[in-house]
Amino acid sequence: MYRFAAERFAALIGTLFAVSVIIFLFVRLLPGNILDLFFAGDTTASPEQLAQAKAELGINGSYPDQYWRWISGVFHGDLGKSLLSQQPVSNIMATALPIDIELVFLGIMIALVIGIPLGVISATHRDRPADYASRVTGLVGITIPNFWLATLLLIFVSRVIHWVPPLTYVPFFKHPILNLEEFILPAISIAAFTLAIVMRMVRATMLEVLGQDYVRTARAKGVPRRRVVERHALRNALIPVVTVVGFEIGGLIGGAALAEIIFGLPGVGYQLVHSIFERDYPVVQTSTLIIAGTFVIVSFVVDLTYGFLDPRIKVGG
Amino acid sequence: MSDKPAESSRLERSISRRELLKKTGQVGAAAAITGSLAGPATGALRRRSAASPKKVPTGGTVNWAIEVDPGNIAPFGQTAIYPYLATEVMYESLLTWDPKLNIVPALATGYTVVSPTRIDWDLRKGVKWQDGSPFTSADVVYSFQQQLNPPLPGTSAVLGQVPGIAGVTALGPNKVRMDLKAPDARVYGYIAWNRYSSIVPNNLYQNVNPQVTGIGTGPFKIQGQFTSNVGVSYVKNPNYWRPGLPYLDGINYKIITDEQARIAALEAGTLDGANISPSNALAINGRPGLNVFHNLTAAFRELQMTIKQGDNKPWADVRVRQAVNLAINRQNIIDKIYSGYGKFTGHVAAGYGQWTLSDDELHSTYEKMDLPTAKKLMQQAGQSGGFSVNMTTFATPLEFTQIAALMQADLAQIGITLNIVPQDPVTFAANNSAGNFDWDLTQRGMRGDVDGFVAEFNPIGPTGPSVYAKWFTGWPSSPGGNPKPIWRGVGNGRITLDTKKRLPLYQSVNKDLMQQLVEIPLISVSTFQVVNSKLKNMYVTFTGFNSGLKTAYFES
Repeated sequence: MYRFAAERFAALIGTLFAVSVIIFLFVRLLPGNILDLFFAGDTTASPEQLAQAKAELGINGSYPDQYWRWISGVFHGDLGKSLLSQQPVSNIMATALPIDIELVFLGIMIALVIGIPLGVISATHRDRPADYASRVTGLVGITIPNFWLATLLLIFVSRVIHWVPPLTYVPFFKHPILNLEEFILPAISIAAFTLAIVMRMVRATMLEVLGQDYVRTARAKGVPRRRVVERHALRNALIPVVTVVGFEIGGLIGGAALAEIIFGLPGVGYQLVHSIFERDYPVVQTSTLIIAGTFVIVSFVVDLTYGFLDPRIKVGG
Repeated sequence: MSDKPAESSRLERSISRRELLKKTGQVGAAAAITGSLAGPATGALRRRSAASPKKVPTGGTVNWAIEVDPGNIAPFGQTAIYPYLATEVMYESLLTWDPKLNIVPALATGYTVVSPTRIDWDLRKGVKWQDGSPFTSADVVYSFQQQLNPPLPGTSAVLGQVPGIAGVTALGPNKVRMDLKAPDARVYGYIAWNRYSSIVPNNLYQNVNPQVTGIGTGPFKIQGQFTSNVGVSYVKNPNYWRPGLPYLDGINYKIITDEQARIAALEAGTLDGANISPSNALAINGRPGLNVFHNLTAAFRELQMTIKQGDNKPWADVRVRQAVNLAINRQNIIDKIYSGYGKFTGHVAAGYGQWTLSDDELHSTYEKMDLPTAKKLMQQAGQSGGFSVNMTTFATPLEFTQIAALMQADLAQIGITLNIVPQDPVTFAANNSAGNFDWDLTQRGMRGDVDGFVAEFNPIGPTGPSVYAKWFTGWPSSPGGNPKPIWRGVGNGRITLDTKKRLPLYQSVNKDLMQQLVEIPLISVSTFQVVNSKLKNMYVTFTGFNSGLKTAYFES
């Protein structure tokens, strides 16, 4: 177990290093840089002005040089400064990360609270109207893009109930009610896909479990159906859901970007999208590292917890 | 204003652009005309609200959207307009523009042109900064030092917009002397524009963090501080030097990047105003509680070409460029993409005072669609078989690829195959500034002075070699190429301080450019704002600023 954890931790470090090199190079291979935004169009620059601006922004020197300056800063806790706003990237991420944590948490909660019961209903009422309704819900959730759902929800509430959530970020501890008002619609929009996945996964595993011998035995012994479902079948059916949800967390942080933009939530995805368009290298690099790191760490934790949930599985062989 | 040395000019009355530039009826902003939609209109679009009543109600706080996060609100060295939009109610300059782009006094009450390279400015007395300290010449000296050497987070990239100011020194507590490197007529427009020329308290950057707060002389003072991706709030400045202003108690600028979110907020009543795209603004027009305003903008659309030495591309021949110009159906672009809200334009944006070619001249002479003549010109240039060309443009907003598609159809009629290459803005900018393109379709922007619209046609730019060196090296030797009159006009216009002599220089440059067509101006478009109907005295400015907020009020 400990050996497994150590191996996975080493793999985590290696993965993050590889991601840092890849994203560093890829973003610089994009045509143009932020100086083209500053200088192009209506202003012109002499070579001396360009060189001065590059030095001011720290994008002079060779690529290995630039990479070393950045990565050594990261190890010292200095994530650099945004090329566009000159704000420390650490400050930007300090605001962005809690937004994503809250948004993903709410999205996952909505997905589980609705998806699990729907999956159970669907499995226990197989081939009946409730099952069909749940399966259609699942299909719709999988196919609707979250940004389209986000826009639709916003238009719906503004036109029908004449209300919009706050469209600029309100921290939870500053005003909890306004914060929750602001997060509920984007959380619903990003939850739809995960909800559908959870629902379908629960349905599939419930159907498998409900067909097992021990379940038939329990029913034959007179155990109430509801107790069989809740105590015996559902517990086993939830094990794969843990894996699915774990993987979804990493994807949601990046996938929530468009919902963040629509609802004015400056999370990590929001920062990443804007900084790619602006060639704001430090923000791109840090945002990507955070998303990649989250994904890897969550997968690691899921692998570890899986062994606790299902004693039949031994982690690390 | 007098251009003769050693004469004082009193600026207590408005100096109209008419006096500086000759009077015009074609100013862009704030004409009190109500326009109406063609077709089944449910409400009339407007240029501005009804004129202010004699007794203006005071009070209320406006919630106004800014569509792009400024990142920070430092006053100097900002290349994007958005930091200025977040601070325009706080910072002022020595001069300003009124709604009709007439230059009027602000923190200066007058100036004296001592010599062609020296101007003495009389500063307004009794003005206080928003922290209560008095406004003096030391503040002006400091401010110009920062303008000429923008501190971080600003960038020296903006210096191309700054005229040749050598330095500013104090002559007394309420008088400063400005020395120019050479006679430079751009200085007044640069100052009045205020985009790069704000006046701030001495040592502002040492005393506060200008990225998140500020101290100005304007009608509103900052409350709290600016938060990136959230916004900034202002409250009324009770010590503002213009008596009776402002009427509002405060302004909350909210950063809302998504247009549908802005529309939703406007309809729900949680936002009082925002810029909205033309198609959505026209769809909103007539909804209860909202007014839609529009006005021409300086960001006209333009087809740019490179004519490089040795390339020998078909459009190096002036007859081919003239044929392209005659083949493009500009009215079709205005009608189909902008719902009729647009105008023909020359190289100086339509609506920019007397410096532009008249609408009649553009429609009847310079931009009249004429396919037979276009085909004849192509034939004379030996291009009757046509040719293929790549034209880069912005991938978003979609209007650019839509314009390109209409041009593609037009130019096909004279045998030109236009390959449209959409690019993201930074890629486009990188290629544009390096001259790595054949044709591109782009938009221009606001300038403080007319020179800004034509500087690229002279190899010597305001601060050094212009973009000419990357784009037009083949122009002089190309068939029909005749840049010298344009070089002379642009160069002389820049150093001619007498506006009576300056205007004909630029009129001649305009006409020569419409013959040479190394860039082909297409159309000027309108900016649309959707505003709470209870907010009065708002107007859409030609400059792209929200200047109306300084004098707006809520009806009681």
